[in-house]
Parts: sequence; C-alpha cells; structure tokens
Amino acid sequence: MSEQMTNIEQTTVVETEPDTCCEPLKPTLAPAPQCAKVSPEISETSQPVITSDKFCFYYGKAVGVKDISMDIYPKAVTAIIGPSGCGKSTFLRSINRMNDLIPHTHTGGVLAVNGQDIYDKRVNLVNLRQQVGMVFQRPNPFPKTIYDNIVYGPRLQGVRSRSKLDAIVEQCLRDSALWGEVKDELKKSALALSGGQQQRLCIARALATKPEVLLMDEPCSALDPVATSRIEELIHKLKVDYTIVIVTHNMQQAARVSDRTSFFCLGELIEYGLTKDVFTNPTNRQTEDYITGRFG
Amino acid sequence: MKMQLRHIGDKTFTFASGMSVLLMVAALVLILGPMLSRGAGALVFDGTVEYRKMQYDMHGRGQRKPLETQLKNAAKARAEVYRLMDNFAVMVDTSKVQKQAKSIFRQFKIQLSNQVKNGTLAPEQAASLKFAGKELRNKLRRAYKTSNAQEAHEKLDYVLNYADNRQLADSVAGQLFTLARQYKNVVSAAGLKHRETYAKSFREVQEIIKELLGPQPGDPMPDLAQFQYGSTRWGRAKILRDRLLWAETWVAQGPDQPLKKTLMPREDQFAGTELAKLFPIVEQNLEKMLLPQRTFYWQYFIDDSTPGHFFGGVGPEIIGTVLLTLLAMAIAVPLGVTAAGYLVECTGDGTFIRIIRTCINTLAGVPSIVFGLFGLAFFVLYLQPKLGVGSGSTILAGALTLTVLVLPVLIRASEEAIRAVPLTYKEASLGLGAGKFRTFVKVTLPAATPGILTGIILSMSRAAGETAPILFTATVALGPVPKSIFQPTRTLSYGSYDIAVGDRIAAMVPHQQYGMVMTLIALVLVLNLTAIIIRRKLESKLRGH
Repeated sequence: MSEQMTNIEQTTVVETEPDTCCEPLKPTLAPAPQCAKVSPEISETSQPVITSDKFCFYYGKAVGVKDISMDIYPKAVTAIIGPSGCGKSTFLRSINRMNDLIPHTHTGGVLAVNGQDIYDKRVNLVNLRQQVGMVFQRPNPFPKTIYDNIVYGPRLQGVRSRSKLDAIVEQCLRDSALWGEVKDELKKSALALSGGQQQRLCIARALATKPEVLLMDEPCSALDPVATSRIEELIHKLKVDYTIVIVTHNMQQAARVSDRTSFFCLGELIEYGLTKDVFTNPTNRQTEDYITGRFG
Repeated sequence: MKMQLRHIGDKTFTFASGMSVLLMVAALVLILGPMLSRGAGALVFDGTVEYRKMQYDMHGRGQRKPLETQLKNAAKARAEVYRLMDNFAVMVDTSKVQKQAKSIFRQFKIQLSNQVKNGTLAPEQAASLKFAGKELRNKLRRAYKTSNAQEAHEKLDYVLNYADNRQLADSVAGQLFTLARQYKNVVSAAGLKHRETYAKSFREVQEIIKELLGPQPGDPMPDLAQFQYGSTRWGRAKILRDRLLWAETWVAQGPDQPLKKTLMPREDQFAGTELAKLFPIVEQNLEKMLLPQRTFYWQYFIDDSTPGHFFGGVGPEIIGTVLLTLLAMAIAVPLGVTAAGYLVECTGDGTFIRIIRTCINTLAGVPSIVFGLFGLAFFVLYLQPKLGVGSGSTILAGALTLTVLVLPVLIRASEEAIRAVPLTYKEASLGLGAGKFRTFVKVTLPAATPGILTGIILSMSRAAGETAPILFTATVALGPVPKSIFQPTRTLSYGSYDIAVGDRIAAMVPHQQYGMVMTLIALVLVLNLTAIIIRRKLESKLRGH
C-alpha cells in the first residue's frame, strides 16, 4: 500500500499558465526558512485542533503508522516530511478517514479532531469530511464545469439558493486566487484548465465546504515550479483562516511554508517541532541526516 | 544476424496484421455489399404500369389521367396476345366454349317459351325448334370433345347445315353457328392431333401470362390482391418473359444417368400452331405492355404490406423492431447499470460475488434460442396468465426476454466502465463529504457514461437483430400493427426469416427479403450512430472541449 503513497518526484511539464507572464517569476527553490510567521508562543497556548495519541494504522498486518503522538495547532501550517513509505500520507489520510476506502484496515490509539475521536463508531463521516477538507496529490477536478466543481460540496450541505451558491463560488475562487483567471468561464469544463489552475480549483472546492482543517497530500508534486510557487503563496494566505496539514517530499517547500514540521520514518514520528528548530537544529540524528541529504 | 531475423519477424508481423485487416474489410464488403445493393432494389426499381395501378388502387398515389392513358396503351399492346390466347384456348381447352354452348341453349329455351306465351309461336313449332336446338348443341359439344379432326369437321358441318334455317339463325340459337364457325377455323388451322400435348404447356403459358399481365380483361377479379395485378417490377417481368420464351424440360441422358435440365424455345413447342406467333410478339412488345419506369419507392419504410409481403413495405416491421428494442433497452439499462454499480461499489471479492460474476459471464455466452425458450416458458406461459395480461406472444414478453438476453453483456460493459473511472474522482467526492450513493450517481456514473454507452450500443444491436428470443415470445409473420405492448408484433428479423422459409414467396419477392435485411442493417446503424454521436458529445464534454 505504501507504494501508492510514494511520490515519484514529478517533473512533468504542465502547461504554462497564460497569466504568469504578467507577474515576475518567484525564485521557487529559495532555501531560506523564514516563514514561521505565527509566533510559537501563541500556538503553544491555543488549543490543538487535532490530537493524535499513540495512533496506529494497519493495512491488514502491515504497519502504516505506529504510535504517532502529536498535536496540530490551529491557524498554522504543519508539514509532514519523511522518506517514501514512511507513512506520512497514511497519517494524513487518517485524519479525515479517507483510508476507509481501502479494505481490511484497522486502527489503534486515538486520533481526535476538536476533542472528538474520529474513529469512534458514532462519528458522522459526512460531517467529519466537511470539517476536514482534503487536497490530493494530483489535481482531481470532477469532469464538470468549474462552477459545478465548487458548488458540489455546498449542494451536499443543502445550499440550493442560486445567489448563495454564486457568492460561495466567487468567494472560494477569490480565496484560492483563481477568480481573476476564470471568472468569465465558470461554465467551462474544469478539465480544460492547466494543471496548476486545476489544483487551485481543487483547493477552492475544498474551501467551499467551509472546513476547519485543510489536508494537503503533496499538492505540488504534479506541478511545475511556477504553479508550485503560486500554491505555496496560497497556502500562506490560507493559514490565516485555516489549519493546514501538508505532506511534502520537498524539504525546501516544508521550510518555506510551514510553521511546524514533523519528520516521519518507517511509520514512526521521529521529530516534531517548530520548523525553524527542526531545520536548523534537529535534535535527532536521523532527522539531521535526512535534512542534510545524507539519508532518504 | 540476430538483428536481421528480428527485422524479418517485424516485417512479417506487420504484413500479416495488415493482411488480416484487409481480409476483414473485404469480407465485410463482400457480405454487406450485395445485401445492401440488393436491398436497395426494394426502394429503387423499374416499376411497371401494373405497379402504378396497384399504388393508385391501394394508396391513391399517382395521377389518374396519365395512368388511364398508360393503361389504355398497355391494353392496346396486350390485345393481340389475348386474341391469340383465346383462339388457342378454344382448341386446347373447350370447357369454356362447352359452357357457352350450354348457356346459349338455355337462353334459347327461355326465348321459345316466352314466344309461346306471347302467342307469336305455336307450341308444336316451338317443340320442334327446341328439339333441333338440342340436336345442334349436342353435336357441337361432341365436336368440342373429340380429338379427331375428321370427326370434328363432320359434326361441325352437320351443325352449320342448319345455318340457313332462318328461324334458328335469327334466334338466340344463331350464336351456336358462330361458335361452330370459330371452332371450324381453329380445327382447320391447327388440327387436333396434339391437343393433349399442348394442354400442359399451354396451361403454363396461361399462368405465366397471368402473372405477367394480370388477370385477362373480362375474367372475374381474383380475391387475393397478389393475383389482381401483373408484374409490378420490370426485373421480375423479364424473368417471367424468359420463362415464357424458354420451356424447362428434363431430358433423359441414358440409362443410369440423371435427367438433364434443358431449355427449349417454347415457340418450337407450339410450332405450326397459331400460338407460335405469340412469343415473338411478347419478346418484342413486352415493354409496351408494361411500360416500365424508374421508381423510387421511399414509402417502403412506412407502408404496411398486403398479405404475404407481396406488395407494400415494412412499416409495421420497423415499428415492431424499434418498439421491442427500445422497450428492452429501457428495462435493461437501469437494471444493468444498477447491477454493475452494485458489483463494483458495494461488494468485495467474496466467493458469492465471484459465483455471481461467473454466472453473468456464462449467461452472456448462452445461445439465444435458450433465452427464447425461457421467455416462452416463463413470461408467456407462466407469468402472463398469472397476471392476466396479454395472451400468447406479446411485445412485453419479447422485450423482457431480450432484456434477459442483453443484461449480462450490459452488466459486464457497465462494470468495466465504472471500474475504469479514476479513483481520484471518487476520493474527491468522498473527501467533500458525499456519501457512497451520491458519489456514484453524481460523479462515477457521469464519468462512466461513455463506456456504458458502448455497452448499450453493443447490446442494442444485438437486441434489434435477434430472432430466436422473440420467435416464441413476441412476433408474428403477418398481423396488424400493434396497438399496445400486450399484442404481438412483426419484426424485421423474424420477417426476413419467415419469407426465407416460405420458399415460394421468397422466389417471387426476393426484393422484400433483401429489403428487410437492408432495413434491419440500416436501422441498427442508425441506432448505433445516434448512440455514438451522444457518446462523442459526452466524451468531449467530459474532456472539457
């Protein structure tokens, strides 16, 4: 199963977005980890949104993740890094129970969102998934119009009024920085967009259900550097309102966008802390090796 | 060396696959080409004046004035044929003139008794006249019956001796003399030696002429429509003309040898008789007698056919086929797609499901006649009486049988299509909080629709073309256009089968059979094209162009 999660570093050239010429290209691989804008003091004092206490996940007999204990704080970006097959995607997908799609899996320990154990039998999956939105590795818009893609979630929640839906569409597209590019072609198929636009559309779609937490499973791995920089920019903007958990293979990306970083290895949580601490002063040898590129 | 071998291998493979593709195309052209070109004969052909008359009589098509002129011209051209036939008929087959003689004598008797009542004739005189008339009639009849020319002449001379008798000649009995004179002419011209040998051959000629030109004017109109008109098609007329000109005879080849079919000019058969003149006349003037014109009979697709598919089109057959197919698909598609969705989305890979899958696959390969018998046993004989709807074959029973037939194929195709929908779509939908059912209906199904449509196309073609499943459950060869789905219907597939087994009709109206087959192919093509266009549209919409 872990092969599925494996990220082949995507170098696929995605269609260049037509509008990129208007903006100066940003240096996307800038190494400086200076993005921890939320001061650690504030985060520490606020109540964690997601608490994981000795959480384990098994694919049949194989271990996905084991004994994960970590708190994820609100209005901040938490990055999960680690080598392939270390269970970072498994853990991420456990948070909104997307792993339920895979047969013969079971869990141990406690994984709670807002104090509610999500693996409890009484949990309403629909509510959970609306509370915890998800953006996937590959852009996966529905083969419908841009408009229909975004209103899919709100319609599920029972929003029927045309004007309300229109407002949601505009708001979400503005939030995901896509409005300017697609406002005149909302009735066009989403598949006609470029890869980067599609991914931002997926983010907009996830935002439309008004989630508290946004899970991002390597959201940039299928995108080119330009599109990646735009998504990262977007993540910066979004963390003001949302709690974001992002899995990434790209350590520079983790350093750029996240406030906290956790390092997974072989299904276990090796290190978890403020990003600047983890990257500049890792306490664990394995983390250091991984970050400096000696291992992984 | 190895490289060269590989090259040769590659080239051989390319060549072989190219050839097999060519072979398939050739086979397709060889099979479909003649079928379509012959089927087109049902629509475009040289129609004779008889055809136009039939169309005018039955459907009121065409204009009356020109048709009447044409009929008059044709009658003029045919007059000589009928005169020769009538004359010859007197010699060969005297039953008609015998009857005539009899009726003349009867009228004569009535005339006499009337004259006695009026007092214009004495009773004794009347009695002697009656006796003389009877004598004349008997002699005439004997002259008709004999095969000996000498004897016939004697009897006729005896009759004609009385021609000078004014009392007889002026009365109704005078017609007897006319008959006698006619017959004397015939006997002296042809002799009576070969009367028996001519009889059979002449009957053939009569039959052919009747089929070619329709019933002779003056003859009673036959009840069946197919005998009321001559050849409506020039192609058929030419075949009949050849049969008229050349007689088929079986000639012995010697002991222990099979008989050999030979063609003999009929002119020779009738050599020396007046009838021999008929054949060159027909050969040269047939066109004038039938006045063929290039005809485009597009109404073939809407016309009902007169009993026996003799004239008319395949309107009811088309309606029946379309009705059956669409009804079957209307039942099968929701069932099949739901079943496929269940198999993909709601089940794992347990033993039970595996057994069900195997059953479906097996069912897809079961011969269609088995489904036909199942439909007969279950829908027609068990379910219908139980529910009290319809009796015997009904469209509904046929459609249900077809449903059972196409369901396995449909389920398989839909299952594959649903399985082929990327998991990411499903993940996205579930990730937004949608339930399983909603994800299936709103995301998976629309994305799988092109694939499902392919399955629908395949099964629709099959449903439209199958004969065996509807043989016992839905069709009749001939019958009215159904008014509800609880009545049987005609179909194209069964119609072509029925004409093919009714060999006599098949020989007479080959265009009907080919026409039906062509219509069936065209119909399937049209249905498929529609579905393909819909699929194209959907696909491009899904792809975002």
